[in-house]
Amino acid sequence: MAADLTVKIGNLTLKNPVMPASGCFGYGEEYAPFYDLNKLGAVVVKGTTAKPCLGNPPIRLAETPAGLLNAIGLQNPGVEAAREKIRSLAQTGVTVIVNVAGHSVEDYLKVIEVLEQDEGTAAYEINISCPNVSAGGMAFGTDPRIVESLVKTLRSCTAKPLIIKLSPNVTDIAEIARAAENAGADAVSLINTLLGMAIDTSSRRPLLANITGGLSGPAVKPVALRMVWQVSSAVNIPVIGMGGISNAQDAVEFLLAGADAVAIGAANFVNPTVCIEAVDGIADYLVKNGFSSVTEIIGLAKNTSADKKGGACGCGKK
Amino acid sequence: MPQKRVMQIKEHSLVAPDTWRMVLDGSVSAKPGQFVQVSVSSTYDPLLRRPISVHDDGPDGLALLYRTVGRGTHMLAEKKPGDNLDILGPLGNGFPVPAEQKVILVAGGIGAAPLCYLAKKLGEAGKQVIFLFGAQNATQLYLPKTLIPSLTALEKATDDGSTGHHGLVTELMKKYLENGPLPVYSCGPEGMLRAVVKTAASYNAQAYVSLEARMACGVGACLGCVVELSQKSGKTYQRVCVDGPVFPGEEVFCHGC
Ligand SMILES: Cc1cc2nc3c(=O)[nH]c(=O)nc-3n(C[C@H](O)[C@H](O)[C@H](O)COP(=O)(O)OP(=O)(O)OC[C@H]3O[C@@H](n4cnc5c(N)ncnc54)[C@H](O)[C@@H]3O)c2cc1C
Ligand SMILES: Cc1cc2nc3c(=O)[nH]c(=O)nc-3n(C[C@H](O)[C@H](O)[C@H](O)COP(=O)(O)O)c2cc1C
Ligand code: FES
Repeated sequence: MAADLTVKIGNLTLKNPVMPASGCFGYGEEYAPFYDLNKLGAVVVKGTTAKPCLGNPPIRLAETPAGLLNAIGLQNPGVEAAREKIRSLAQTGVTVIVNVAGHSVEDYLKVIEVLEQDEGTAAYEINISCPNVSAGGMAFGTDPRIVESLVKTLRSCTAKPLIIKLSPNVTDIAEIARAAENAGADAVSLINTLLGMAIDTSSRRPLLANITGGLSGPAVKPVALRMVWQVSSAVNIPVIGMGGISNAQDAVEFLLAGADAVAIGAANFVNPTVCIEAVDGIADYLVKNGFSSVTEIIGLAKNTSADKKGGACGCGKK
Repeated sequence: MPQKRVMQIKEHSLVAPDTWRMVLDGSVSAKPGQFVQVSVSSTYDPLLRRPISVHDDGPDGLALLYRTVGRGTHMLAEKKPGDNLDILGPLGNGFPVPAEQKVILVAGGIGAAPLCYLAKKLGEAGKQVIFLFGAQNATQLYLPKTLIPSLTALEKATDDGSTGHHGLVTELMKKYLENGPLPVYSCGPEGMLRAVVKTAASYNAQAYVSLEARMACGVGACLGCVVELSQKSGKTYQRVCVDGPVFPGEEVFCHGC
């Protein structure tokens, strides 16, 4: 018998736990030629801002060992133009999660205000973690007090699920996650990209025009997995895990670590059908291992770890 | 529509110094100026696909012509006939079809790769093709033997004077533009493209240039490959992978500034 793949994020039910990550799938159009997007749990669209945003100058990409640095700088047509794209994607039956970005609280509010007028948006993913914009962005995501007040403000504006996207570029990600939970977030998603850089030895200059960029891809997976483990242990709201997932097995690792759903970013660039292969692969894994639903494996890796965790000193090391 | 396909390598040979020609079994039904994203490794390193132009496409297979410059292209060069290659394509907009009967193609170095396919298709459509080809030296001026007879004119330029005109390929354009503007299609290093656009503009000719950019997705989703364009509406960033790689020359190298 086929396993039950449905998961819940707040009051939203997803038909399976797999979604493409924000910024890696446009507004869905680009990948529609490759498969039926309705087979996905959801589609998370590009970071959307109140006004159109030009983005950073090129060069915006640098390949690194098993990874990719990007400094796109939130290029997007602005919420009014994005609204049309979101509406047409939703009309095909796809569950659309809109990634909301901004430089100020007012920016975030404006985007939500506009999108609240339509049916198309199923949930908001609040990007408080973009490393590639000079003001706001990641700055919002590194101080738990600011996170708490931003989430409280946004909470009062929508009844739709609010997913807070966390930055890995912090000392204690669990603390930020708790702040989001306390302020009424329905879920958290992590990780956004890790701040990095590359230097061109022939020009003797940083390779990216923005100097720094965000690292993603297989290289970040162990870091992301550890953070998902920590955050899912620290909060009671659902966790959407991402960072370096490139196939079904990686996705299963995140579920076992405590993620209720997973997002796939850079791997789409390498394999345009990776998301759909992950959906099928998770289903196979469940059946082969005798599970009847995906929820049975969420956080399962923690079950046996309680007695293993911590040495006599309580410092977490054996 | 782009597709992900696994194609078998039929032929793979060194045709000029550091320059390989690969023929894959099957066609991607590409238009001239389109490209494919080639996966050079089945591991995560290097992670990204490499964009390579369609050098020829049709019943005889899909041909690529590429220069080994870094790790990815060197790994590609190690593949053998019989090996499979994971390809995404066809991608990009391709060259616009000219209304005129006569066109000028200006190639710089490995930039000849997509222009060979364009020349072939234009020739088949009964157009007269003037092919101007510049490179550092004579050894880098590879053209498929079957293409040469179909060209109305072929002129070469080398930096070292080892063959053809000793100097810039753009200096060869003038002779063909003096009697009236003809559309110019070009691919090559940025400095050359800039000169091509400037020369064409001085004869009121429309130039189209095929650009390169670092790419991730190749399908328009990541916004990583943008080029700055100056259009009527002002400055924009456009994606080389779907809005290009072919752009009107004046939008890329705006003359007024
Ligand atoms: C639309 C398009 C068509 C192209 N067609 C051809 C062709 O027909 N023949 C050919 O020889 N080359 C072509 N190129 C250039 C080719 O993509 C690069 O030479 C190749 O990606 C270099 O990879 P590497 O691993 O050897 O070099 P590395 O320098 O090790 O690559 C590092 C990273 O930078 C990227 N990169 C480096 N140089 C370029 C470049 N010039 N353009 C784009 N990305 C680059 C690589 O893809 C990789 O992600 C084309 C590029 C584009 C954008
Ligand atoms: C090109 C690119 C663009 C991105 N744009 C956004 C964005 O607009 N908003 C956002 O929250 N995250 C963005 N991200 C981060 C991804 O959503 C994801 O968190 C990160 O890439 C880690 O996942 P991965 O390793 O599977 O790529 C972007 C990532 C990449 C590679
Ligand atoms: S390479 Fe992703 S948008 Fe062009």
